[in-house]
Amino acid sequence: MLPNLKVENLSCVRSEKAIFKNLNFEVLPGQNIEIIGSNGSGKTTLLRTLLGLINKEEGIINWLDEDNNFNEYRTFDCFYQGHQMGIKNMLTVFENLKLTHNAKGMNEEDINKCLERVGLYKINEMASDLSVGQKKRISIARWLLKDFKIYFIDEPFSALDDPASDLIKEIINELNLKGSSFVITGHRSSNINATLIEI
Amino acid sequence: MLLQGTDLQILTQPLLRFDMRSSVLDWLGIILKRDLIIAFRRSSTYITPLVFFLIVITFFPLALGPQESLLSSLAPGVIWIAALLASLLAVESIFSEDFRDGSLDDFFVSLEPSFILVFAKVMVHWLITGLPILIASSLAAIILYLPLESFVPMILSLLLGTSFMSLLGALGAALSLGKSAILSAIIVLPFSIPTLLMGTSVVTFSLNNQDYSGFLMMMGAMLAIGIPMLCLLTVEALLLNYD
Repeated sequence: MLPNLKVENLSCVRSEKAIFKNLNFEVLPGQNIEIIGSNGSGKTTLLRTLLGLINKEEGIINWLDEDNNFNEYRTFDCFYQGHQMGIKNMLTVFENLKLTHNAKGMNEEDINKCLERVGLYKINEMASDLSVGQKKRISIARWLLKDFKIYFIDEPFSALDDPASDLIKEIINELNLKGSSFVITGHRSSNINATLIEI
Repeated sequence: MLLQGTDLQILTQPLLRFDMRSSVLDWLGIILKRDLIIAFRRSSTYITPLVFFLIVITFFPLALGPQESLLSSLAPGVIWIAALLASLLAVESIFSEDFRDGSLDDFFVSLEPSFILVFAKVMVHWLITGLPILIASSLAAIILYLPLESFVPMILSLLLGTSFMSLLGALGAALSLGKSAILSAIIVLPFSIPTLLMGTSVVTFSLNNQDYSGFLMMMGAMLAIGIPMLCLLTVEALLLNYD
């Protein structure tokens, strides 16, 4: 089985200080990578570097294309969720899902199913009236809009109670079974089935 | 007859192009709808520039007195300066919220063209600042005794000029993302001088019954060149904020 993403000798330097050096890993379909590190260790920088938001210093980031060749340019959609979850306070719960490019072509029923899966039923409530945990649930519902090959999620378990953490683990398992992979970050292992990388 | 690979490619090419176009239009539609809903729910976004524009306009008759000839001769410059400053009021907000809440990351990670994001943002900015100013400029023209014959040239010049200002504003906003709000206005103002000169010239020439079409054509050309160039520069400026 070919990996969807192959990282070789990846390094990042900021202000002449090496944030991470010579990272090597592969993201196979249905398998997860968990990047563990303390605050400021470069977890977010690594995710952003992988996705091309930040220029890499050294190393190779190769993506699998439709012809099973590896190249620098990504040809498939990935899902990225940073610390800020992209939730718009002036939109309702439903609109926060519907008005994203990943919901293109989806009908109301499909979107409602995604929201119900994460336990959000008051779909016309304004996001500004929700707690941080509930907003996080909206962002998790966004994972379900489409089957992405790789999900890059920055600290998915922060600001969540136990039931919500269990929900995330369940959803990760479900998506893994469909062949999706997760690259997640955290301060400690979250006990999901993943290859740990410490930076 | 069996179709060969190349024949199939020729047949599917227009379909692929159509898909691409419809995808880009969907993308544009989603951003426009989302940002317009947010702007209308937060009424200060479009009311503030409009009120600012009208207040500046009403200050002139109050300060200079109701002399028709003086006010009508000053009207082109006054309307244009007020429109320019008012359109810059909301410039900082073009990308700041998306940057703060992480939506911008989502746009750049998606495989959709970033150019469309910027273009949609510029359109929204124009719809919530330029369009109300354009409508209010008729009232401003009455307050400043601008002759009725100059209304159409004034509207046309403001239509082209405020659109160009939104494009310039987006670039300024991208360059000053996460920094002081006034910085984007300071970046944009020097570059708005040609638009200001041509816009006021259109109205002044029409007041003097002279041909103003050349200025309008220049403004149209600037807008036509500005749409692709400034949108692409804005994309690059936005990406600088990640490094």
